[in-house]
Order: sequence, then C-alpha cells, then structure tokens
Amino acid sequence: MTQQTQSPKTGRGFAQIFADKMKASTLRRLRPWMQAGVFILFLVGLVGAGRIAFLPADLFFRLDPLAGLAGMLAARRVIPTLLVGGLIALALAVAAGRVWCGWLCPLGTVLDWTPAHKPKAKEADLHPRWRQIKYFLLGLILVAALLGNLSPIVLDPITLLYRTIATAIWPALVALISGLEQALIRLPVPGLLDAVVTVDNFLRSAILPMYQPVYGLSGLTVLLFVAVLALNTVRARFWCRYLCPLGALLGLVSKVSWLRRATNDRCIACGRCARACPTGTIDAARAFASDPSECLMCLECAPACAQEAQEFHGHLTPAAWQPYDPSRRQFLAAAGAAVAVVGLSAVTPPAERPQPFLLRPPGATDPDFLSQCVRCGVCVKVCPTSALQPSLTAAGWPGIWTPVLVPRIGYCDFSCNACGQACPTGAIPRLTLEEKRQTVIGHAYVDRNRCLPWASKRSCITCEEMCPRPEKAIQLEEVEVVRPDGETLTLKRPYVVQERCIGCGICENHCPLGGQAAIRVYTPTDLGVGQALQ
Amino acid sequence: MISRREFLRRSMLYALTLAGGNVLAACNSTPPPNPPAPAADAAPTAGAAPTEAPAAPPPPADTPAVAATQSSAPAAATAVAAPPDATGGVYLAVARGQAPGPAELARRAIAAVGGIERFVKKGADVIVKPNICNAYNGPEYASTTNPEVVAAIVALCLGAGAKRVRVMDFPFGGTAKDAYKTSGVAEAVEAAGGQMELMNALKYRAMDIPNAQALKKTEIYGDILTADVIINVPIAKHHSMATLTLGLKNLMGTVKDRGALHASGLPQSIVDLATVVKPQLTVIDATRILVANGPTGGNLNDVKQMDTIIASADVVAADAYAATLFGLTAADVAHIKLASERGLGTMDLDSIKIEEINA
Repeated sequence: MTQQTQSPKTGRGFAQIFADKMKASTLRRLRPWMQAGVFILFLVGLVGAGRIAFLPADLFFRLDPLAGLAGMLAARRVIPTLLVGGLIALALAVAAGRVWCGWLCPLGTVLDWTPAHKPKAKEADLHPRWRQIKYFLLGLILVAALLGNLSPIVLDPITLLYRTIATAIWPALVALISGLEQALIRLPVPGLLDAVVTVDNFLRSAILPMYQPVYGLSGLTVLLFVAVLALNTVRARFWCRYLCPLGALLGLVSKVSWLRRATNDRCIACGRCARACPTGTIDAARAFASDPSECLMCLECAPACAQEAQEFHGHLTPAAWQPYDPSRRQFLAAAGAAVAVVGLSAVTPPAERPQPFLLRPPGATDPDFLSQCVRCGVCVKVCPTSALQPSLTAAGWPGIWTPVLVPRIGYCDFSCNACGQACPTGAIPRLTLEEKRQTVIGHAYVDRNRCLPWASKRSCITCEEMCPRPEKAIQLEEVEVVRPDGETLTLKRPYVVQERCIGCGICENHCPLGGQAAIRVYTPTDLGVGQALQ
Repeated sequence: MISRREFLRRSMLYALTLAGGNVLAACNSTPPPNPPAPAADAAPTAGAAPTEAPAAPPPPADTPAVAATQSSAPAAATAVAAPPDATGGVYLAVARGQAPGPAELARRAIAAVGGIERFVKKGADVIVKPNICNAYNGPEYASTTNPEVVAAIVALCLGAGAKRVRVMDFPFGGTAKDAYKTSGVAEAVEAAGGQMELMNALKYRAMDIPNAQALKKTEIYGDILTADVIINVPIAKHHSMATLTLGLKNLMGTVKDRGALHASGLPQSIVDLATVVKPQLTVIDATRILVANGPTGGNLNDVKQMDTIIASADVVAADAYAATLFGLTAADVAHIKLASERGLGTMDLDSIKIEEINA
C-alpha cells in the first residue's frame, strides 16, 4: 500500500492504519461468512417470526431504506422503527458504499450462491445504459409512493425474497418434511412411529408450523424469484447491477461514500481486476477505476491484482457522475411512469366498488391500507391458520401481493392478534387482543340455497357452534319441517345477527359442505349494517 | 458444497425412502394397521386389562334386555361396569359443595366409585381427556374443563402408580398450545406431574367402526386406542345441536375430522364413536357449567356455579345425571338416549345406585 502523493483531504490516516491492519484480501475472506451469517439470521427471523421475542419479525424491513422511505412517503407519517433502521443502512452506505449489497443483503447472498455468468477474456459487457433501469425503478417507486401508491414496491429485494421464502419455499419444505415423516411411519419397523413422532414434536415446537401453510399465489411468487436468479446467467448479479431499486438508492448515496476503491500508478492495465468484478464496474475506459455506485465492496478484485495497484481508502469528495447515472430527463420519465401507475390503479373495479370478498387483516381498511402496505408478507407468515393470503386480483391489480383473509383456507383466530404486532408499517394496526375481538373484518351471510337446514332439511349448526362471539352472532331459529319420508322434524336454522358479526370466518371455514361454504363472509359495508360493535 | 454426484445420490435415497414407504404401506395396509376391528369388548383396555372393571358394556343386547337387567341396582351395576365389592355397588357418585373446592370434590367422587386404584393399576399408561375446545377464554368462562379437576385426577393416577399420565385435547379454535395455556390446564397438569401432549397428526389411524349407524369410518388418535386407561373429564356445557356436551360428546376430541360427524348425523355419530373409544372412568366437571352460547362461551352471565362433580365408570349414566343439572333428562338429549338404547350404558338413574356426597 502506498504513497504520500494523495491529497491530505482524503483522510488517509485512518485508512492507512485500517489498510495495514486489515488487508483487503484478508477482509475479503470474511465476506462469505458474514453473508451466510446474515442469511441465517434472515431465515431464523422468517421461520421464527412471532416465536422469537428478541428478534423482530420485520428486522430486515427496518434495515431496508427503500421500503422504509416508500412506506413513510405513501403513509405520510414517520414510522420510527423504519426511520431509524433506514438511517442506519444509509449511514453504512455513506461510510463504505454498497456494503449492504455486497455483505448483508440476503437476496444478494442467494445470487452469489447461484451459478453465474463468467466473463471471458475479451468479452464485451452489456451496455452500461442497462444500469439505468434500476434508477428508473427507484424513481418509479418513490414518486408513486409520494403520490400515495405503493404498488411498485413489490420489486423491493427484501420483500421479494421474504415473500418467496415465506409463501413458497418454506411451505414446500414443510410439506416435504411432513411427506417424508408420513412415508417413514409406514415402514414396518418397530418403534419407528414413536421415533418419528418424537422428532416431529420437537420440530413443530421449535420451527415447523402446526398446520401446513398453503398459499394461492406461491407459483407466481416463485416464478418472479426464479427469473431474478436466472438473470445471473446473463451477468453475475444481474439483479444488483441493473434492476435492484434498493441498490439504486444505496448506489446514489454511495456517490459520497467515504471508503472507496481506487487505483494507483502501479496499475499495468492487465485487466484481471475487471474480470474478477461481479458487477462489472471496473472499466478499462476509466483506467480500471470503479464507480462507488456500482461497487458492492465485495473485494473480489483484491487478490486479482499482483501489483498492489488497488487501494481502499477514504475520500471526502463525491465520486464522478457517470454517463449511465440518472439524468433529469430519466427522472422525469420515472415520474411519468409513476403517474401512469397511479392512473392505471384507478382503472380497476375495486376503485368503483369494494370487491364482495375483499377481507383485510383485522383493523386494516381500503383504500388506506393500499397506501400503507409494503407487500412484505410478514403478516402472511405469522398468521397461524394461513387465513392471510397474498392476493392476486382480490384487491385489483394495484393490490397484488397485499394480504387478504380467505376464510375457506383459514379463519381469523379469536385468540390471535399476531399480524398487527408484526406489521412493519402499521398498515395493520397494532390491536390488543381485546380490541381485535371487537374489530369488524367482514360480515357473514347464510346461503339459504345450500345451507343444510335451509336447503336440504337436514340438521346442522356447525357455524353457530363455532362462532366465538360470547353472545353468538349466529343464532338459530327452530322450525318444524316435513322430511321426504313424511316424518316431521324440528330443525334449527342459522341466521346471522350482523351487528354482532366480526367476520372472523371460522363459520365459513368449518362449514361441512364440500366446496363452497354455505355461509360466507363478505366485505363489510356501511350500508344497512354499519360497524355496530361497541 | 457437495458435488453433483453426492447430491444426486442423496436425492435418490430420499426418493427411494418415500417410494419404499408408500409401497410397503400399500402392502401393509390391507388390514388397517390398527385396532383389530374391536368387538364391543376389545376396546382400549383389551389385553392390558389392568383394571378390575371390564370396560365392556353390557352384551350387545337390545334395549329391553338392558332395562331388564337393570331393574335392580346391584344387578345393573354388575351388568354394566362390575364395580368391585369395595364400592358397595356404587355405580355413580356425585360430590357437591362449595367448601371443599373442585379438586377435593373430584377426589371424593372418584373415591366413592371405588377409588382411582379400581381403574389405574401400577405401571399403567393413562390418558386424561379434558374438554379444551378453544384458546379463547380462561377457565372461569366454563368452556374448558376446570384445571384443578384435571390436575387432581392426574395426581391421583400418579399416586396409584401410573407409569405416565398424559393430558390432551384437539381444540377447534386456535392452536392446542395456546388453548392448553389459556385454559390453565397446562400449568395445573404440569405442576401435578402430568404431561400435556400436543396431538400429533402422524398418530391418527384410519379405522372402520363395526356396526356403525352413521360414522362408518374415521381417523382416531392412536394412543387413545392403545393406552391402558382413558379417563374422560368433560365440562358440562350447553351445545345447540347436541343439546348438551358432556362425556359422550367429549370423545369427539379424539378424532381428526369432526366435520364428518356433523355431516353424517351428530347423535348417531357420537354413539358410533363411543363404541370404539371407551373411557374406563368419566368424571364430569360441573363445578361451573355453561348454560347458553356453548360450546365456546365467553360471557360470564352464561356461567352457573354448580360446585358439582359426577363420577362413574358408565359414561352414559354420568351424562344422564349431568343432564339433570340443566333441568333436563337424558331423554331430552338425543345422543344419550341413543347410547343407552344401543347398550353402551344406562340412562335409567332410578335403576342404579347413586351415592351423593354433600359437603
């Protein structure tokens, strides 16, 4: 490492000490461990969401300044946890560039573990203008958020990874484990059942959910994720270089980062560092310097240089603006696109009239909910009955991946308020259990054309039995009916007292009819019923 | 990192295990792996039989025959549950009174029907089945069995030398873990030395119910069928379909798919189930009863303090007596009547010796 020829403004004193103690090539070897550790923390937080008291379920969303900024802009309020976490992440970028991307981001880690394109000696890189896409997406997300629309936030990398693991990969793993257990206990080996049950009990008390989670949108979620991984074969970290809007935000901040990579006059232009760089930002045209907006601080270039021509040290002046960096024109294009998104979001039936079965998590109501939900999927993950599902069209296209309650899949447990406790933005209010028990999600209506006592003159009161309201929102009316065989039977027919119904959906969930239930929970409306619970 | 070869090898092993399990299971499953189609007397205790009282109900006689044998109390007792002489022929005991507290009431009632030793032998594997139907409210709301009663029974069993005493139920609202906690049962049972068991999905066994009227097939928790002793500890509650939920209805917590019981006719299904799940002792907790808006409850105005515990080896008789606490008779409750008619026990309270203990 070198030289007194640098400007005194660069604060080299510290950097020199740092560089002497920790050579970049040594530090580089720590990175995979750091990434693995953070990824495990991400998984533990996801799998243990709601079970581990000291680990907030939304930890990584707090450290995601894009979700935080967009969420606060759209909700038009300061959310302290997101503000603090976001500022920490931004401060990290001011100190050391995109270390978030290179060392911490769990999606980046997955991409590093995914087979990637290896550049050949003379291979030309993609045109640098591809890098503009991420700034475009960043502008789109932030301007749309400013206009109160959070739909484009689905492209945030942390939400993308969280929802993929929470609603597809993890449930699939749970199903495979259960399937393996089912297969094992059928083997004619004495004592195997007890052993498998012991293991299963342990797994379920520690990590596995009690019930198999099921999600209607898992296929689409996985497709998007696989597409992001597949782009790695076009260029390493394609997502991070060209698409990631969070990377764009951190990249812009990194223009003024203190710690940066620089080259000195020992460079012989061998180009080995450029080939080692996973984001292709080491450019011969720039004399093998890198752009801190694109550099992930991964240090993969460090061992490539045989000349000690690279330095990582402090700078106090902003880095040069590159031709592919966002221009005013591009910003206007992104803003225009955001306006288009806002306009198109209005061209959806729910804007005219609520969808009949649009049930939101307790305490959340449209349209406010749409401008507060960052589509992260934490509520979906913590819901113990899989009642909360990422929506496809239930809330219109602008509401894709927002949570909706689907009672036929799961009911809102009268003894649970986990979703509101876990929501990072407060889009689902943090209700106490007592408050949640009074909160109207929807209203149940009996379908008399199918309900057993109404339609078939057969006894059934399951819905009434299940109703958790102390005074029973479902009441029974006794009638005498004549059965086909001429026998007179006293039947109890259910009806719903709407003023008492909170729409938890346990009646719909347990209705013994096959297929569609004969009691269904509808979107609450003020018409006729009102929010009559005290 | 593992090599591709290693990965493929492990994948094949996994797939083979899955396939092998299924193939072997297919070979194996012609006779269901489980309870050898229990004849009336082959139920849980068969084989283990550490109890003096055969769990067998009266011979599969038709109603008149049962009624006839029960014309005199001791004869009826012999026919239905054969209490040992020590009980003085007490067929059903009722302990009531505010002062002793729920635990003591349970002990007195059980003592009066022959004591726990009549049912639990040294080394027995015991399952206590309370009613913990949801995770919503604490025990004061009377939708779940009084934890003191459950704990007292656990302690009695352990005192009688039981090898292990497990307590379990399968709530329909909320998770079992939450329900065990909210009901207060988990804390009380663990303090008494019992184990709370989360009913594991792997342990259910599909079985045919012989001579079933409505519920011909169901999946029952395996341990319920193999344990040495089942002690049924329901709470007495209102239920809109079943009229009341007592001992017989409490057995529904041992099956996986309860919707099927509703769909195939509830009273007959409950009785069908009772022909294969046969508790040796039923202790009905009527310290607090839920008189309306059951089985979930949630309103203290619907709770009535009764300070009563009923114990009998005959679940039908226990249920018949408990019905009177609600101002009803067994004939008002379809499934109790059916159970009596099908010979699972007697609902004729005049024909049996009842000991009332008032404190």
